Amino acid sequence: MTLRARSVAIGLHAFVSLWTLFVLVPVFVMVISAFKSQAELFTRPLALPRQFSFAAFERAWGIGISGFLVNSLLVTALSVLFIVIASSLAAYVLARSDKPVMRWVYVAIVAGFAVPLQSVMVPLYQLVSSAGLLNSRLAIALPYAAYGIPFTTMLFYTFFLEFPRELEEAARLDGCGRIEVFFRIVLPLSGPVIASAAIFQAVFNWNEFILALLMLTKTDVRTLPVGIYGLTGQYSADWPALMAGLAIATVPLIVIFLLAQRHFVRSLAGLGK
Amino acid sequence: MSHLEVRDVVKRYGQLTVLSGVSFAAEKGEFVVMVGPSGCGKSTLLRSIAGLEEIAEGSVSIAGRNITQAEPSDRGVAMVFQNYALYPHMTVAQNMGFALKVARRPKSEINAAVTRAAEILRITEHLAKYPKALSGGQKQRVAIGRAITRAPEVFLFDEPLSNLDAALRSQMRIELSRLHRELGATMLYVTHDQTEAMTMADRIIVMNGGNIEQIGSPLELYNRPATRFVAGFIGSPRMNFISAYVIETVGRSVSFSFGLELPPLKLEFAPGETLPAVGDAVILGIRPEALGDSGEVHLADAEVTVVEALGRETLVYSDAHALRTTDSESLDGYFAQLVPSQSDKKLGQHVSLWADRSAFVVFAADGTTLHDASPAHAHYK
Repeated sequence: MTLRARSVAIGLHAFVSLWTLFVLVPVFVMVISAFKSQAELFTRPLALPRQFSFAAFERAWGIGISGFLVNSLLVTALSVLFIVIASSLAAYVLARSDKPVMRWVYVAIVAGFAVPLQSVMVPLYQLVSSAGLLNSRLAIALPYAAYGIPFTTMLFYTFFLEFPRELEEAARLDGCGRIEVFFRIVLPLSGPVIASAAIFQAVFNWNEFILALLMLTKTDVRTLPVGIYGLTGQYSADWPALMAGLAIATVPLIVIFLLAQRHFVRSLAGLGK
Repeated sequence: MSHLEVRDVVKRYGQLTVLSGVSFAAEKGEFVVMVGPSGCGKSTLLRSIAGLEEIAEGSVSIAGRNITQAEPSDRGVAMVFQNYALYPHMTVAQNMGFALKVARRPKSEINAAVTRAAEILRITEHLAKYPKALSGGQKQRVAIGRAITRAPEVFLFDEPLSNLDAALRSQMRIELSRLHRELGATMLYVTHDQTEAMTMADRIIVMNGGNIEQIGSPLELYNRPATRFVAGFIGSPRMNFISAYVIETVGRSVSFSFGLELPPLKLEFAPGETLPAVGDAVILGIRPEALGDSGEVHLADAEVTVVEALGRETLVYSDAHALRTTDSESLDGYFAQLVPSQSDKKLGQHVSLWADRSAFVVFAADGTTLHDASPAHAHYK
């Protein structure tokens, strides 16, 4: 390795190491804080706890985290399912159509990606409210799906552009209609892109806070972020319990990511074609 | 009525016309090969017959049924693709039985058809494997097997052997010919490889620039090419072409001059053949295997520039200085000569190029032959 290549490699490693620290320190603080007492958390914020206490976890569990967990799972699963079905079908049509108007449809969908949530919150609230969906899981699952579709459509679109057409042509000769080609040939071979779309949207929807806070005011339908937020009061907050709740909320995502990270990295590497 | 009839098919991509009124017919059980350079429209024509491309004008009928507007699966065709197009998520058996499964045929019938096709292609032991576990040759067999199970009226092959290595390709050529005999099926085969065309075809369709140049048996095309394009495309190494003009016609005997100080060449035209007029520019063609050290006519003296010893035969290129060939692909202006034995010719050696009069082919300036040849649209015009 030449000196120049080596110094570039060292520089890159240094940068990635710094970045990793930057990402991991808050996670580390969250975990150690969950084992501390309120007093210790404020006197020695960055030190390891003097003794590991599970009291904060018990208090956090006591406010009904198990119920929030179920709500979060349901909302995330439902929205991801919507997103994958709608985006894959839309992207397939866009990728296979040679009509010029479809390019504009694609641009319009991608443009939806750029609309900030805050700017549509009020009309969205009115919409959901007049549909009678407030305080139901659909109240956030449907907007989550709508918000996830543009990005996921892009993800599927690039994948389908690369998908070998001969397979589809062979299937058409074998007697499949367009829909059958999609469901019997294309979708079964789209594992990597489905996995990465699912992880992406699962992470986003699992952590989403603003919409959930707005739409879900009753405790029994709250998702994890909003539920855990209940540990803060107007004048004080139980910070160790808050951190314990967040730590619990983080675990499912880490498990999913570890299981599917191979697909995740592979399809992200193909993005932008 | 022929088994497969293609009439006046026109295909356009936007402003670009890729097929400009193509017509031909194939009889039941015939092996027809479409050959031509890249972009000549042969694959487009095949895909149009398969229904994978929509045509702007014209009609296609199979077994007496007009299928111009039919869905690909309702046309009675099966297609074998260049890169196999096997479904990676299905086993070999599932790949081969997929069409019947989509058609909701009973399991017993699917199994019987798959077993039979696998026996014909000798791939029975691979039936439970997935495509990724197979070699290129095995994959192509599975792709052919998938076509066989459908029992189509017409088999369509789109350059099926081009992804295989040379040894496997010649083996598969023989096997495809055997398959054609055993099944007695009508087959339409697209290739850019003229060896495949010559060895397998009952009839060859030579295409160029979206048109059919000539249709005929392999030897008809070789011996009596209708156009200079066909003459150049069929036969390897390529035919030598020389520019000349007519200086005299006496009866059916025509004298051509190559200009310069070279002696004129006198050729006899058969009754019925078109005679060129004095002053006409023509192209004379002579095959590399027709050039020798002796013959009726002394064409030119030359100097050997390249010797390719192929063992059984030797390919000699020589530079005749005053007389140059036109549009020879590789060696500018050199004469290609195929000696049917091992040759002791050396680089720089002086040789004489001789040929028999009957070996020359004469083409008008527009590229069509002046001799009798099987025309491009023999079936309809």
